Amino acid sequence: MRTPLPTSISQLFVLCFALLALSLAIPCAARGETVCLQCHGAQTGRGGIPVKQWRNSIHDENGISCNDCHGGDPTDAVNAMSPARGFLGAPKETAIPAFCGRCHIGIMKDYLQSAHGKALGKGGPTCVTCHHAHDIHKVTLDLINQTNCSRCHTYERAAIIKNAMQQTEANISAIGSTIQNLKEQGVDTDRYEKGLFALRNSYHALFHEVNTAKVQGESGRINQELAKISGQLTQIDNEHRQRRIIGGLVAGLFLIGALFVHLLKKTYDQ
Amino acid sequence: MAIFKKIHTWLEVRLGIDDIVDKRLTGYLLPRNINAWYSLGSVLLVIFILQMVTGVLLLVYYVPDADKAFKSVSIIMNEVPFGWLIRMCHAVGSNMMVAVLLLHMLSTLFMGSYKSPRELNWLTGFILFNLVLATSLTGYLLPWSQLSFWATTVASNSAGAIPVIGPYLVEFLRGGKLVGPPTLGRFFAVHVTLLPLIIASFVGLHLFLLERIGVSSPPFGQQETKSTWTGDRFRYDRHSNGIPFFPNYLLQDGTSILIYLAIFSAIVFIDPYLFFPTTAFIPADPYKTPAHIKPEWYFLANYQTLKVFPSEVIGLLVQGVAMTFLALLPFIDRGKERHPLKRPVFMGCFVGGILLYFAMMIWGHFS
Repeated sequence: MRTPLPTSISQLFVLCFALLALSLAIPCAARGETVCLQCHGAQTGRGGIPVKQWRNSIHDENGISCNDCHGGDPTDAVNAMSPARGFLGAPKETAIPAFCGRCHIGIMKDYLQSAHGKALGKGGPTCVTCHHAHDIHKVTLDLINQTNCSRCHTYERAAIIKNAMQQTEANISAIGSTIQNLKEQGVDTDRYEKGLFALRNSYHALFHEVNTAKVQGESGRINQELAKISGQLTQIDNEHRQRRIIGGLVAGLFLIGALFVHLLKKTYDQ
Repeated sequence: MAIFKKIHTWLEVRLGIDDIVDKRLTGYLLPRNINAWYSLGSVLLVIFILQMVTGVLLLVYYVPDADKAFKSVSIIMNEVPFGWLIRMCHAVGSNMMVAVLLLHMLSTLFMGSYKSPRELNWLTGFILFNLVLATSLTGYLLPWSQLSFWATTVASNSAGAIPVIGPYLVEFLRGGKLVGPPTLGRFFAVHVTLLPLIIASFVGLHLFLLERIGVSSPPFGQQETKSTWTGDRFRYDRHSNGIPFFPNYLLQDGTSILIYLAIFSAIVFIDPYLFFPTTAFIPADPYKTPAHIKPEWYFLANYQTLKVFPSEVIGLLVQGVAMTFLALLPFIDRGKERHPLKRPVFMGCFVGGILLYFAMMIWGHFS
């Protein structure tokens, strides 16, 4: 049976309203806004702060939303925070490493083995003490600083660790860009990339280590391995430099040849 | 020296080489005012031979399989002794071939050498230009990189704009709805067998026509030779007061070829990446579209033309009309005058056309 066309003014009004609502809903859906963000984002008090902080975070940058950590149903405003829908809420202090460690498994392990992790529940720092709960940024060595570390202990040991790691980070970064440059020239960098990846992981594992001797020793080992990769890359770079020199010579020889042939032609023309 | 004399006598008795030398080399006279631009044909012949040789050498290691193509090119570049040199010569050579071909055609246009009775020389040359472009396009896909995959996707998509047959043509070119392993197989076969054979045939035909009708005189310089062809019957355009092909003009050819080789080797050894964007060294990924897909420099003007018109059909039509006009130019432009300064309308179109081509190319690059 065919649906009759809306003829009365009220039916037309309902239709227009429905179309308007639909047109407003489409951009929202296109942005992928969850009900968590819609509701908390609109709040001006305490409830809205996490959304504002999250919007500047690396989690937002990588598409990790509220429900990815806190659970719940991001599509149903009524039952979004229902435990039946998997809502976890905010973790207790001692549960924070396990809460973050669901994704950052290796980092959790490193943390728990460190002096920081062993002091969990006894006044020691948790993940959010240094990294914050929602305003989370890509970790750099700048996180180790006088202000952060002095909240709990003196900065001296932290400074030693930071110094040891700064050199490693600079080496990793320099080798990474050399590999990228060579890759853009058609060099098969697979082996070097894998080596660097493994060393970068070892370096990252030191991020939660507070034993200065261990950090210094491990940094030394990593730097030695990095030096080997760097040496191999330098060799490739030297080969490329040699090619350029040979190319210049070959081009020069061709030009001399051209000049000679040109002069020979002149003699015949005369 | 006695040994050379003996070899000469032996060959003379069996082949009559003195006659060949007299007719084809020392006795083959060219216009006295012939200039260096005429040697671009010889340069192109050298490039074609180099492309054939390097192409055959690449075939030894290249695997035309979508799963192995990129890896095989990487092996050529990194493991095969001098593989990088062979590959770079082939890739840079293809770009240089298009550039030199464009110069050759522009000089022919400028000097009016396409005019009667050399319509067929122009037409075969024009067809050769299009065949070289087709070879470049088919060769572009073979490394199976992100660049080659997506550039081929965009290029083959353009054919879809042709009314009625467009979608069928795209499917025929690709061997499926999308660019994939069958496309690689098709492009490989066409690139290494069909197109080189056709190109070699047309080069032969082009040279035959050149030899048969004779070299045209430049419209400027010393007017020592003048064409007396009236169009009533075939006549070889001889230049009785001209210079011999050997040694005079062969030395000019040699000079031009050596200058070309100097530029070519400088690019190959010093900066071969001039023609390679970053995406050329990333394996093809059909699920990851690069941010800016641009065709090779010689297709940029065509690419931009498709974009400036409201529909691709109009863009294709405009290009089709322009190409047909160029192909048939000797049949349209029937005037006898060949000096560019005495042909203001032609000069306006010539300079305007070049400026428009470069403007579209630059616009296409930055759009």
